[in-house]
Formats: sequence, C-alpha cells, structure tokens
Amino acid sequence: MSAWRQAGLNYINYSSIAARLLRQALKADLRTEAAKRNDSHIRITKWEAGKPIKSSEF
Amino acid sequence: MAALRSMSRLLMNRNLSTTIKRGYAEDMSFTFASGNQVFYDGQNVRQVDVPSFSGSFGILPKHVPTLAVLKPGVVSVYENEGNVKKIFVSSGTVTINDDSSVQILAEEAHPVENIDAAAARDLLSKAQSQFSSAANEQAKAEAEIAIEVSEALVKAAE
Repeated sequence: MSAWRQAGLNYINYSSIAARLLRQALKADLRTEAAKRNDSHIRITKWEAGKPIKSSEF
Repeated sequence: MAALRSMSRLLMNRNLSTTIKRGYAEDMSFTFASGNQVFYDGQNVRQVDVPSFSGSFGILPKHVPTLAVLKPGVVSVYENEGNVKKIFVSSGTVTINDDSSVQILAEEAHPVENIDAAAARDLLSKAQSQFSSAANEQAKAEAEIAIEVSEALVKAAE
C-alpha cells in the first residue's frame, strides 16, 4: 500500500494535488488561466414560499 | 455419436463467430478529455501509451478490456498519420472496452511542450523542503505526492 493511503488520503486527494502542481508547472502565459481551476465555489440559497431566505458561499 | 458430433460443431461455430467478431475491431476509437480540454473525441489512432498505477502500458486495437488509474506522467498518442502527440496527465482513469474503444479522462492535461522546465524544477525543490518540514503524517504524505508529481513533471519537460 502506498504511503499516502496509509496516511488516510485517497485518490481524489492525490488527484487534486497532482492537478494543482501541473497547473503551476505550465508556461507563464497559460498559468494564470489554469490557476482559475484551482478552486471551485458553491453558493447555496434556501428558498421558502417563493423567496430566497438565506444564501451561503463555500 | 451423431448427436455428439453436431453438438461439438455447434460449439465450434460459436467459437468461430466470437473470433470473427473480435477480428472486426481493427480500429481503435479514442477519446481523451480533461477538465481543461478535449484532445480526442472518438478519433481513430494507432497506439496509446499510458502511465498507470498498475504500470505503464501500451494500448493497441483489440487490447483486453481494462480499467486503470492514471499516474502523473506522459500519455503518448500515435496517430494514424504517423505523428506522436505527448500529453502530460495529472491523474484520472483509462478505460479500454470490449469494442476496442478507449477513453482517458484526466483531471488536468496539457501537451508536454506547455510545461515550463524551470517551474517544474522549482516545484520539485519546494516539495522536497515541504517534505522535510512536514509536521504530521498527512502533511508528509501530501509532500511525498508533490515530490512524485514534480519529478514526473521535470522528466517530461526535459
């Protein structure tokens, strides 16, 4: 078993580390565009009786 | 005796037809996409070499159906016209189906010529210092992954 699995990481963790590093290793002109994919955002809005009640961002 | 013979003929016929069916799969429909780009979409190619956790292997038409998890490294695509495209994949999966179609799905993938060798070396030394200063087992494991990935990046950028 690989060391990272032993430490409690899974392939999803491995994959995101690998993807982030690949983006950072790109030539400078491509790097800024690629860096935008590092994070993803979710906004959740609760609706009640047709009106937005509360929204939160992650 | 006659019954036995006709039965064995039936069995033989079945074997024959399955062989012929597999024989049709001279083409390899290849699909390769990542989070940032679609490289191939059902295109016919001659051969594809992939780095995976079960070892690096080449895929030709009529390869046995396989699933594998990608390792960071270079995927080489041998196109029908003779060109070889080298694309670095961070991670993902490769699927080889019974009909000889192949799918590679990567989280991030870029042609090797887009990798900056100096940036890759920089990442490797950063990962190494991260490893030596890691406080707990998880940070150590993460740094270890970073070393593995940046080593592959440095190698690919050469």
